Amino acid sequence: MRLSTRIRRIPPSVLLAIGFALMVLISIFAGFFAYQSQQSAARVAHTLAVEGEISDLLLALRVAESAERGFLITEDEVFLTRHAEAASAVKRQLIQLTALVSDNESQLARLRILRPLIERRLADFRAAIELRRQNRVEAANDIVRRTENRDAMVRINAVARDMLGEEAALYRERGTEASQSYMGTFILMGIGGVFILVLGLMALLALRRSDRERDEAQQELIETNENLESLVADRSRDLIAANEEVQRFAYIVSHDLRSPLVNIMGFTSELEALRDQIFMQMATLRQNQNVKDETEAETEEAQDSEEATEDELYTDFDEALQFIKNSISKMDKLISAVLTLSRQGRRAFKPEFVDMTEMVDDLTGTVAHQAGEKEAEFKVEPLPNIYSDRLALEQIFSNLIDNSLKYLRPGVPGLIEIKGRETPLQVIYEVRDNGRGIEEKDFQRIFELFRRSGTQDTPGEGIGLAHVRALVRRMGGDMKVESVFGEGSVFTVTLPKKLPKNERTAE
Amino acid sequence: MTQPVTIIMIEDDEGHGRLIEKNIRRAGVNNEILPFQNGSDAMNFMFGSDGTGQTSKGRAYLVLLDLNLPDMSGIDILKKIKENEHLKRSPVIVLTTTDDEVEIQRCYDLGCNVYITKPVNYESFANAIRQLGLFFSVIQVPPAE
Repeated sequence: MRLSTRIRRIPPSVLLAIGFALMVLISIFAGFFAYQSQQSAARVAHTLAVEGEISDLLLALRVAESAERGFLITEDEVFLTRHAEAASAVKRQLIQLTALVSDNESQLARLRILRPLIERRLADFRAAIELRRQNRVEAANDIVRRTENRDAMVRINAVARDMLGEEAALYRERGTEASQSYMGTFILMGIGGVFILVLGLMALLALRRSDRERDEAQQELIETNENLESLVADRSRDLIAANEEVQRFAYIVSHDLRSPLVNIMGFTSELEALRDQIFMQMATLRQNQNVKDETEAETEEAQDSEEATEDELYTDFDEALQFIKNSISKMDKLISAVLTLSRQGRRAFKPEFVDMTEMVDDLTGTVAHQAGEKEAEFKVEPLPNIYSDRLALEQIFSNLIDNSLKYLRPGVPGLIEIKGRETPLQVIYEVRDNGRGIEEKDFQRIFELFRRSGTQDTPGEGIGLAHVRALVRRMGGDMKVESVFGEGSVFTVTLPKKLPKNERTAE
Repeated sequence: MTQPVTIIMIEDDEGHGRLIEKNIRRAGVNNEILPFQNGSDAMNFMFGSDGTGQTSKGRAYLVLLDLNLPDMSGIDILKKIKENEHLKRSPVIVLTTTDDEVEIQRCYDLGCNVYITKPVNYESFANAIRQLGLFFSVIQVPPAE
């Protein structure tokens, strides 16, 4: 698989999750960088503040010096006030500066050198002013003129320059740091942005692809549904064709079996006729002989024994012929049953609206006499109507009603209930009896051709239910039996409300 | 029958043929009965070797026809007889086991004169054939032209 296709396979949800994680990461880094640059900016500001303090300190010291000089020259009190203000400002600046550079050991060391120098300068100013007040002008001028005093000022300036130089270096250093932090943030933002953009694009593509896939799947589903319908139609047609094939087969087989049966029956009848002729001729012959032998008395016995043999022969003949005939008629009945079934299968249905309650009432009416003899009672509830083949329905229900009457329990008054209900597409009819019931192992068997269940004490060929089920199935329904042996049975017939169109109906 | 009519019996089952013949005879019919066990032989006899039916000219036939034959369908024979200018007036009695409505309609459409379903039960079968024999003794059969 190529990489591009592999990427394209990533589901949009995963892409979105990756994007979200990136966003969080970028936010964390951005926060970190922002904090860093803020720290750097604060340190830069601190450096600037230290520089300002140093300049202010030097300025205040200069102001104090010039005020001292002014007083020495003019003896004006105004200069004294100005000097006092400047001197206190110098002290204040010194305290502030010490606080500001408390974190920097080298600056503190410089400050320790600076402080005694400044204090000494201030002490010089105070001494000169004091001397001038006492009008010792020469002595005061001496203090000003003293070279070591001027040196002190030079040293103060040098130390202050050093301090300023260090702060300037710090300023450069911290400025670079801050700008690096900013750059980092920008680069991070840029890369993150590009990543998110790419991810977003991929997610968009993935979404579009899944949209397209969904549309395609939907289209496919619609087509499959359409195919399915035609598939079901095809299958129904195949089933109907197969069913017709079986019906035709049953018809041909039963038909062809019957032809030789007609011969067997026919020639058996011919044999019977021949036998009668033979025995008649034998009787005539014997009579003629009797007339001839009338005088001979001893033949009487022989004649009797001859007649007895003849009778025996006749009964033997009769027995053989009877067996043949019985077997033929039994076989004939079986073949007829198959023929009837296959003919039923070939009959086209004519769907119509059938009032089932009326039909079942009519059917129970025709067996009312039989029911009376057996002390059986019918209970027909109102039944849902159906659009189907009337004749087939009559055959189904008359068979079921006949059966329920036929297999009642002796000595128990019969109760046969017929009821029905409907679902949106189907109608379900129930024929319930309190008869002898069917053993569970025979539930399927009773629907098979020529098979019967229970004590074989009632006449029947085992065709009825096979026929009924075949009809129900042809009508697009199904049927089943539920029974408790010795208590009764329920036959349930489920049919479509409307006879399906693909079933062969009358043209 | 006023003229010597030949009964042509096309029946593939020999036993059926014999039973039919016996029962027709029992009705007192003495006409010649020619049994054929397949369609081709019967066609050859009636239509001659040239297949025109010329050879049958002047002879009166009554055809007893079974529809289920081994070599061809009885319906084809019926069609050919009724389409032939010489034989078309010969009465054709379809005697078969089929009682399919469509089949019966088709036979009458093609010009069959009588359609009889062979009764399944032998007694009824014998009875029906005897009555058919009685019917034979009264109907008029024109000779082929």
